[in-house]
Amino acid sequence: MKDTFRGGVHPKDKKELSREAALRVFDAKGEMVFPLAQHIGKPAKAVVQKGDAVLVGDVLAEADGFVSANVICSCSGTVKAVEKRRTISGAMQECVVVTNDGSYTENGRFGTREDISAITNEEILKRVKDAGIIGLGGAGFPTHVKLAPKSPLGVKYLIANGAECEPYLTCNDQLMRGSAKEIVEGMEIVLRLFPNAQGVIAIEQNKHEAIAAMEKAVKGHSRIRVLSLRTKYPQGGERSLIRVIAGIDYPITKLPADVGCIVDNVGTIYAIGRAVIYREPLFRHVMTVTGEAIKEPSNFIARDGTSFQELIEAAGGIKDGVTVKKIISGGPMMGIAVGSIDIPITKTTNGITVLAEDGVELAEKKMTACLHCGRCTTVCPNGLMPQMMADAVEVGDFERYEKKLYGLDCISCGSCTYICPAKRPLTQTFKQTKAEIMARKRAAQAGGKK
Amino acid sequence: MIEKLNLSAGPHIRDRWTTPFIMLIVLLSLVPAAVVGVCVHGLHALWIILAAIGAAVLTELLFCLVTRRRISIWDGSAAVTGMLLALSLSPSTPIALPIIGSVFAILVVKCCFGGLGKNFINPALAARCFLLISFGNAMTVFPKLDGVSSATPVAELMAGKTINITSMFLGTANGVIGASVLALLVGGLILWGLDIIHGEICFSVLASFTLVMGLFGGHGFDIKFLLAHLCGGGVVMGAFFMATDYTTSPVSRLGQFIYGCLIGVLGALFRCFGHAADSFSYSIIIANLFTPLIDMYIVQKPYAYRKSAIARANGEQKLPIWQRIPKPVIALTLITLLAGVALSGVFTMTKDTIEASKAAAQRASFKVVLPDADADDPFVPMEAPAGVYGDGAYRKTVINEVYKGVDQSGNTVGYVFVITNSNGYSGDIKLSLGVKANGTVCGIAFTELNETPGKGSLAAEPAFKDQFNNRVADAFELNGNNPNGIDAITGATITSNAVLDAINAGLNYFNTVIKGGN
Repeated sequence: MKDTFRGGVHPKDKKELSREAALRVFDAKGEMVFPLAQHIGKPAKAVVQKGDAVLVGDVLAEADGFVSANVICSCSGTVKAVEKRRTISGAMQECVVVTNDGSYTENGRFGTREDISAITNEEILKRVKDAGIIGLGGAGFPTHVKLAPKSPLGVKYLIANGAECEPYLTCNDQLMRGSAKEIVEGMEIVLRLFPNAQGVIAIEQNKHEAIAAMEKAVKGHSRIRVLSLRTKYPQGGERSLIRVIAGIDYPITKLPADVGCIVDNVGTIYAIGRAVIYREPLFRHVMTVTGEAIKEPSNFIARDGTSFQELIEAAGGIKDGVTVKKIISGGPMMGIAVGSIDIPITKTTNGITVLAEDGVELAEKKMTACLHCGRCTTVCPNGLMPQMMADAVEVGDFERYEKKLYGLDCISCGSCTYICPAKRPLTQTFKQTKAEIMARKRAAQAGGKK
Repeated sequence: MIEKLNLSAGPHIRDRWTTPFIMLIVLLSLVPAAVVGVCVHGLHALWIILAAIGAAVLTELLFCLVTRRRISIWDGSAAVTGMLLALSLSPSTPIALPIIGSVFAILVVKCCFGGLGKNFINPALAARCFLLISFGNAMTVFPKLDGVSSATPVAELMAGKTINITSMFLGTANGVIGASVLALLVGGLILWGLDIIHGEICFSVLASFTLVMGLFGGHGFDIKFLLAHLCGGGVVMGAFFMATDYTTSPVSRLGQFIYGCLIGVLGALFRCFGHAADSFSYSIIIANLFTPLIDMYIVQKPYAYRKSAIARANGEQKLPIWQRIPKPVIALTLITLLAGVALSGVFTMTKDTIEASKAAAQRASFKVVLPDADADDPFVPMEAPAGVYGDGAYRKTVINEVYKGVDQSGNTVGYVFVITNSNGYSGDIKLSLGVKANGTVCGIAFTELNETPGKGSLAAEPAFKDQFNNRVADAFELNGNNPNGIDAITGATITSNAVLDAINAGLNYFNTVIKGGN
């Protein structure tokens, strides 16, 4: 069996910083901030008002439309405001702010194990939706939508993504080591929705303990197996996994379900299990706080809405004498640099990486003209030609970018930028160009309607 | 301590490889060839290398200063250009030439077109060709290792001579400084192993060159012949270091393959049908010029849009192999096949005609060298000696055919010999020699003579060839004052000797076998 996709890069994984740190539950002290738009799709609609008393597990905002998700309260206290606050993206977004009373009183509607052998598929989907579960891998696609494709019978593979190819991050590693049984339970539930699918738990080879734990948990299981994958970025990308497991490449216009695959992060699978068996909504998840500048890199089970500041302090704070250059929400390949630590984590925040050295800053000093060396083409997991795409953008030939070079199929994994010896900002250029082309298309459509 | 946070877009970490690092490795991979060159050819070679590199770097520095650009010499590309240029020069080149060449390469070819990554042909090769055109004599003189100047192995090879492949492989034959195939291979394979150069280019160059050389080189797939051509004339240097230049080669794998084949095919055709021993440089430059065109049209599709991927995504069976091959490859193969068939067709169709006209020309020459034979069928074939005549006493002389000349009354008036000598300056010399029955030379006529125009070709002029007429001798000599002496052609001693050997062999055969036998 093949164990990897074509292309990819081998950044230093730096997982040794935090890989042995067992998961710790972290209960924040300060106020909690819940952005209404944590997922792909329409932002949720706030159902609480200033002054309302809320408990852990209460719904703060309801899904507004089909592609949307509930926002759940992770603490007990009073709603302080529903107002615009700065979020990870740097923009001001509508948030529910809750004054945390520190007692973490639960609302009592979850926590007891139920016998789920008799519940219907509709009930499973309803519980997932009520729990506000979205893809925890980073994109944040509402899971109840993902689990209801057009043809459930056509799904051949359910892939639990435990690859965790992003450097530095180790929280899923710890989750798989400690909660292998719960993840398998979650998979069994999802497999009920897809009778023709087989379950594959995909893990990179650098996580021996996690592989061993998961293998033990699936032993004797007829529909679930563990697949160890070569350690290579972006092995944990949806497309990379489907390429390896189903042998299929598909254009950006299609969804995994269109080619018979459902890919969910192991964290999401775990949350599905909790939501269906215990009716527990998604208000906390695993995440890593790490980086060379962090005193005690840690893996936390953190509550949504906790501020970056508190989590960094919980991990021992910044090392003495170290000047922090960059703080990233997520890992260093696809994560977003944040400008302040007075911002809340959301459901999709799987890590906070605090760096004492900024690769981008160093790279900008070493930038030269493009050599045409072709390394970017070699590493692109989709078989695109980044160098030609950058050339096309430079001369403003968006037509060639889109039609001849398939530039919209770029998944912004960053492999080309990582490998470029001339340190060209390729991924960044493509993100902008894609946005520009999409904006022009929308404008053209709007113009056509008039 | 958190003071000021950087907000740049990701990815936030980068690979350690930088442009200067890659250039350094390329430079280092050329060092083995340079060391061999200096060891074999002496210190002057080292001065050439240093002058070329120094001039290249200095030119770029000055250009940056004058045009107020960011100093770009630290990316190392100028040094690589200088090194490549030096290694492709003769070790006896005056020190001014590498300097002029480097200035041309950097200033004209590189900087004027926008610097690193913007040049349209390989700067080092362009400079080499510039020097060849401007200073032809100084560029093409190669010191033999004993101090006598001579042609390069490939020039000799093209002149039909045998050469020592081992010395070419090791780099001890005369040639450019970087002529050691072994050292170049070591460097080139390291670069390939490190994924710095693309195997699609270097191996398609070598493979297509070998293939075309085998088909049209005239020696078939003779390993010695092919190896000699692969080892000489910068083929290895070109394939691994010149053709693989990032800027001037296509980006897509298929494009690189086509580009490599273009270089190999052109290079081999120039070798087979052209006259210049430096033709490989030109074939790379021509391919360089095709690169923008290839890049414009040959763009690899993302995996998801390739036929096989679409078929798999639709759950279809694997496509049959002929549907999985990219179209351009099929087109190229078809074109190559068609061209091959056409060429071989023309060859077979014209073969008989050429043979017939050659035979007619030979018959006509008999009449010229022995006019007394005037019977209706005047020339009666006789037995000819097999193999090289006289055990090498006349060097590589073969008496191909012998005829008895008969007049109308049936008397033997003389004999005609068809003789080939392979010691000419440019291949075989074939002549017809007419000898009267009493041993007097009646005349000679050349049926094959490819000697240097204006020099060896003068053998066919009456001033030379008519000297033999009406004389009786056991053997002629190249000394006009002797009784049996002949005046040599000025400046073409090799040709003169070859003709003399051929005639003396014929006379010897006449005297010892035909006359003696009578």
